[in-house]
Amino acid sequence: MGLVAGSLPPSRLLWQRVGFAFLLLCTLLIVVPIIALLMKIIISGAPAISWEFLSQPPSQAGKAGGIFPAIVGTLYLMVGTVVFSLPVGVLAAVYLAEYAGQNWVTRLINLAIVNLAGVPSIVYGLFGLGVFVLTFGFGMSLLAASLTLACQALAVVITASREALLAVPQEYREASLALAATKWQTVRHAVLPQALPGIVTGAVLAMSRAAGETAPILVVGAAFFLPALPHSPFDQFMALPYHLYTVAAHIPGVPKQTMWGVALVLVAVVLSFNSVAILLRWRARRRKIG
Amino acid sequence: MTGVGKKKGSRLALAAASLVVMGTLLCSPVGCGGGETGTTPTQPGLSGSLKIIGSNTLLPISTMWAEEFMKENPQVGIAVSGPGSGVGIAALINGTADICQASRPITPKEIDQAKERGRNPYETIIAYDALSIVVHPSNPVGELSIEQLSAIYTNQITNWKELGGNDAPIVVLSRDTNSGTHVFFKERVVQMSGLPTQDKSLEYGPDVLFLPSTEEGVVEVSHNPNAIFYSGLGYVTEGVKLLAIKKTADSPAVLPSIATVHDGSYPVSRPLFYYTDGEPTGIAKAFIDFALSARGQKMVEEVGYVPLP
Repeated sequence: MGLVAGSLPPSRLLWQRVGFAFLLLCTLLIVVPIIALLMKIIISGAPAISWEFLSQPPSQAGKAGGIFPAIVGTLYLMVGTVVFSLPVGVLAAVYLAEYAGQNWVTRLINLAIVNLAGVPSIVYGLFGLGVFVLTFGFGMSLLAASLTLACQALAVVITASREALLAVPQEYREASLALAATKWQTVRHAVLPQALPGIVTGAVLAMSRAAGETAPILVVGAAFFLPALPHSPFDQFMALPYHLYTVAAHIPGVPKQTMWGVALVLVAVVLSFNSVAILLRWRARRRKIG
Repeated sequence: MTGVGKKKGSRLALAAASLVVMGTLLCSPVGCGGGETGTTPTQPGLSGSLKIIGSNTLLPISTMWAEEFMKENPQVGIAVSGPGSGVGIAALINGTADICQASRPITPKEIDQAKERGRNPYETIIAYDALSIVVHPSNPVGELSIEQLSAIYTNQITNWKELGGNDAPIVVLSRDTNSGTHVFFKERVVQMSGLPTQDKSLEYGPDVLFLPSTEEGVVEVSHNPNAIFYSGLGYVTEGVKLLAIKKTADSPAVLPSIATVHDGSYPVSRPLFYYTDGEPTGIAKAFIDFALSARGQKMVEEVGYVPLP
């Protein structure tokens, strides 16, 4: 956009304006439906939101009462997913970015991770059912569901962390090594802090996805009606997406605004976590050297 | 550089710690009802937990019973889940559920699988469901025989005019294969079990649309003048019309209701089951006894299902 209008012949200027207008139209085409969807959710769901709705357990199969256990269950799931996927994922990314050699084994591992990201979520659900619920014996539980969602999140976390680590300029590593730091000290103190914004992004993506998943959790532990909060990781739990699916599809007589209210709460939970993460990322970026 | 890294690291650790603390605080003040697993058979001081998994059709009834039961026994925690009869029976076989709720009977193959794992499925009928056939209110057709329904669902009859209705193609809606309702309808109506025209080889036709939920089907029928769907009586709304069903071409046409299910004149009613591993004991027994009691059965009526006679 640094072109001065007077330096172009009028016809080229017109075509340039047409081009920019077209690009703007494409952007709007993407942004407008999202905003329209958000507006619809807010307008339809706002009447249902009240202190009772947010703090009470459900009653009458979800037709009355609130969704407090579902909100808490979703939060527990998000935390559980990050707790299980972040350490393993970041360490795997550190290995792939810093220690792995440029050979076919590494390429195979990278290919496997990319494919892992594309596996449908219900397949993860069945995997979790077979491995965590049955073979490990955790039963239908918060632990099994968190582990299942963590497996799904692993691909995202590893990819985002690896990209963030690879983006750190080589000079940082060279400077650290030149000061007689060991490889691990280099990674720990020079590279990882610089990659932190990208890693946090990966963690947030993982949490947001965990909050919205319905198919995997319904075979590994989500309950529809469970007024008590889970005491231990081996208890069942309620979750917002599963609750929304069941009241919308399987319970007759649920007021429409209740369904939209649940959707609004789910979107609000995900967006607020995303905002916190964006804030963390911004602060981490500000403290980066250089 | 080391100093900065340490500061950032400790800040994130603080954030993580506060999340954990928040989580624990969230749990404690708000009433946490379920206790440890116990097996006290007497009513006062009954405590423990129950997992009920299975059919979506039974969700309205089971959650209602669970809510009432937990009000009377505050130390008991009951968790009720879907997502389907098939999953519920699998959970019973695997031992991940205490009670399996099902809208179709357990098959001999599933009983064998359960026995292999050392489980003995014990059946308790807890209510009945009048499976209603619904069409759009503007549809002139008011009654159908089971044979005609079978022909519709195998795509032998494709136009409403063949049944005395408008000249329009029939939009045939069904539940999907995870649903116990789907299985029951296939056996009782499509394959016409129990009737002289019984044909166990019949399957749903290729033009039948399979829907994942009853709610969706009822909504579609209320908007589509040419649609036909089957659903539990509890899901039927004012926006659709119930068809009277004739067992055979010569039988009287009967509308679904509690009375017609009890006297056996409505031909498409089905029992709803709870399956347990062996005879129910402890909390499961107390809960099922409550469900079968007069008070429990009165609640069944309130949600549109048919109580035991």
